[in-house]
Amino acid sequence: MSAERKTPQAAGDTQDRAAAASEPDAARDPGDLRLISRATYLKEKALQNLFLACAFVAVAGVLLIFLFVGLRGWPIFAKVGLWRFLTGTRWLPSQGFFGVATMIANSFLVMLGALVFGTPLALGTAVFLSEVASPRVRAVVRPAVELLAGIPSVIYGFFGLIVLRPFIAAWSNSLGLGLLTVSLVLAVMIVPTIAAISEDAMRSLSPGIREASYAMGATTWQTIWRVLLPAAKIGIIDAVILGMGRAIGETMAVVMVAGNAPVVPHSLFQPLLTVTAAIVMDMSYASGDHRTALFGLAIILFVISMSFVAALRLLSRIGGGEE
Amino acid sequence: MRDRGSVFRRLLAALAALAVLATAGCSRGDASATRLAVTGSTTILPIAEVSAEMFQKAHPGTRVLVSGVGSSAGIESVSQGSADIGTSSRDLKPAEAGLGLVDTPIAYDAIAVIVNPGNPVRGLTTEQIRDIFEGRITNWKQVGGLDMPMGLVNRDEASGTREAFSNLVLKGKPFDPQAAVLPGTGQVRSVVAGTRSAIGYISYGFVTSEVRALAVDGVEPSPATTADGKYPIGRVLHFLTKGAPTGLAKEYIDFVLSPAIQTKVIADAGFIGIAGKAR
Amino acid sequence: MDTKRVTNALALGFLWVAAGSTVLILGTLIGYVFIKGVGSLSLSFIFTAPQGVKAEGGIWPTIVATVYVTTLAMLIVTPVAVLAAVYLAEYAVQGRAVRLIRFAADTLASVPSIVMGLFGFALFVEAMHFGFSMLSAALALSFLMLPIVMRTTEEAIRAVPKYIRWGSYGLGATKWQTVRRTVLPAAMPRIITGIILATGRAVGETAVVIYTMGTSINLPLSPLDTGRSMTTHLYILATEGINLPTAYGTALLLMIMILSFNLIARYIVRRNRRMQG
Repeated sequence: MSAERKTPQAAGDTQDRAAAASEPDAARDPGDLRLISRATYLKEKALQNLFLACAFVAVAGVLLIFLFVGLRGWPIFAKVGLWRFLTGTRWLPSQGFFGVATMIANSFLVMLGALVFGTPLALGTAVFLSEVASPRVRAVVRPAVELLAGIPSVIYGFFGLIVLRPFIAAWSNSLGLGLLTVSLVLAVMIVPTIAAISEDAMRSLSPGIREASYAMGATTWQTIWRVLLPAAKIGIIDAVILGMGRAIGETMAVVMVAGNAPVVPHSLFQPLLTVTAAIVMDMSYASGDHRTALFGLAIILFVISMSFVAALRLLSRIGGGEE
Repeated sequence: MRDRGSVFRRLLAALAALAVLATAGCSRGDASATRLAVTGSTTILPIAEVSAEMFQKAHPGTRVLVSGVGSSAGIESVSQGSADIGTSSRDLKPAEAGLGLVDTPIAYDAIAVIVNPGNPVRGLTTEQIRDIFEGRITNWKQVGGLDMPMGLVNRDEASGTREAFSNLVLKGKPFDPQAAVLPGTGQVRSVVAGTRSAIGYISYGFVTSEVRALAVDGVEPSPATTADGKYPIGRVLHFLTKGAPTGLAKEYIDFVLSPAIQTKVIADAGFIGIAGKAR
Repeated sequence: MDTKRVTNALALGFLWVAAGSTVLILGTLIGYVFIKGVGSLSLSFIFTAPQGVKAEGGIWPTIVATVYVTTLAMLIVTPVAVLAAVYLAEYAVQGRAVRLIRFAADTLASVPSIVMGLFGFALFVEAMHFGFSMLSAALALSFLMLPIVMRTTEEAIRAVPKYIRWGSYGLGATKWQTVRRTVLPAAMPRIITGIILATGRAVGETAVVIYTMGTSINLPLSPLDTGRSMTTHLYILATEGINLPTAYGTALLLMIMILSFNLIARYIVRRNRRMQG
């Protein structure tokens, strides 16, 4: 079952714990091999280093991203000043204005919107799957969640543009491109992420606490609300942080339904430009400082998503320590 | 069970070897005489692609790779040498004049200002259009329509259509920053078709029955009014090369200028052939 | 006493609504794409190239490009990810190095795809001079797939019961011999599942391939050839509004591909579970 998880991030910490449990194996063999033959020992050591190198490819990847995206974007920070770049509110590259504060704010707004709509839906589904659903119902709902995760983002954007937008436009007497539309589309996109991990978190709670709660006469909901959710708190927060990362990094769906106006919107129905949309719209033709600024935006986005991961690992370690 | 892992690994090694061989067997450099890279305007993309197909059929062994991300990208690519032909639906900016690009016009096009078919407004003056897109007029009742706020739809900055519209109508003044910016003709058309209050602009060749093209200064856009210049928002579609076109690029451009393409493909796309302009 | 029951009923109702909405949304998405796209699907749609100003005809070159780049990415990422997972599961000692590797893998897993696309452009297309090619795109995609395959392979290896290893060591096998001949074969079904799922993710990527593979319609033969993936084709058709029926057909075909990956992965897991009893 765990092999089916699409974004199994939260297991990172359980894996560390599992690794610690199986350590005795690692320590046993290299020493014994010296008794067999030096050749075999060398071969085994070489293989082990090869595998270590493979594992370090991941680290190399992150470093390379910093190197190639960061270095390409660095000149704009040097030229305009990192502070001015981050806090300037005017984004008019053709005239030399490189302030990205508006777009960063919009990206966070959009992420918040997605969380507002997506978290209740995802958590409700997750709790339903782990506490309420019978095996037969579960066999329908769980695959549905996983399938939602597999739909490409272009199709979400497409659907948002062709179906959702006219609906919202008619209802709100506007173009239908804006914060509400984007939030709804992104909410659906992050539901599988949050739901899958939250459900795993709840399922891994020991059955004993449920039994104890029911034994004291609590209803299902009381058990869920007062016992299970607080107990699974860390796993759920993990899930939500991952959803946040997904929402803030989404490009194609956003550029199709957000309206992409480089201003901070006053209402739910006004067009707004996020960091990801800004990069994808200008990248095709930008040159010189403009292109450098786009790489600068990209590295900022990378740092934001990496800090989400760091927050997640920090939380896992704190949570693990509490147990 | 014993051999399953090793069979899998041998298969993997074989496939990897195949991949390496495939890479080794093909080099990049030999194709310049028979390969042509054409990139630029999304407006010109459909006719460039069709012409490319027909050209490849008429000249077997050649490969014409057409892509379209925006006129500015096309100009950028051809001046840097990463493309042989850059297509542009806008004229070169003064800053681009010194790049050594030679322009071969291949067709004429009009930019239509489109509204929703349910909008009672049928025509506007160029001053009104300018005020609308600069953000000074914001409600339809100010131009004789219903009392509803305008839904302004703009194109992305990579678009030659946007640049051409900006030069021809706004005379270089900035667009309303609160306007929605959509990255594609189809999106503009789709949003305008589905929203009563929307107004946007697209190439005349892309107008379909789901939107209505307004009359500008009393003149309806059509191939006739574009050809004789009566419709005020007309533009040239360019093929740009670094220096005068030579070799395969020249053959391709001549092919696009040939009567076969001009009367069939370009007219099919809703544009006006070069010969058709009365000026 | 009564509020307790009423709250319970209401809350449970909310849970049913939440789960039902999720299923409904999925059904609507799939149903919509299916209804609009099924009319475009035909053998000629799959096997012919786009023709004409309106991109009539089929989408064959894009299908080839998608399959080509995904297979190439799979070939590149599988050895590296599997061996990395072997290290983490069998050899690694808890410490800073391992924590660093896991942090890096998690980071790679949540990189926004546009950042990965720009990275691929800067490194593979420009710095390494591969240009817009299947190779550049495959390399970028393999970085995206790496953490997924590493994670699922590690879990698969850990799921292999300890006594299998002890039997092998007891016979005097070295660690590598044990891993290669007993552990990996036993974990193979779940490893394959992980690879299939990662491949499904790669098939759906757009931003990454636009900046590494390019957007020209071209039938790629060598890994250095450019091409247009199905997702890119869908995006271009949708934004340029050239041909909506074809766009829906492409979307439907994409979803069928990804759905089949999902079903094959589940089938392998189920068969494996049944065999293990």
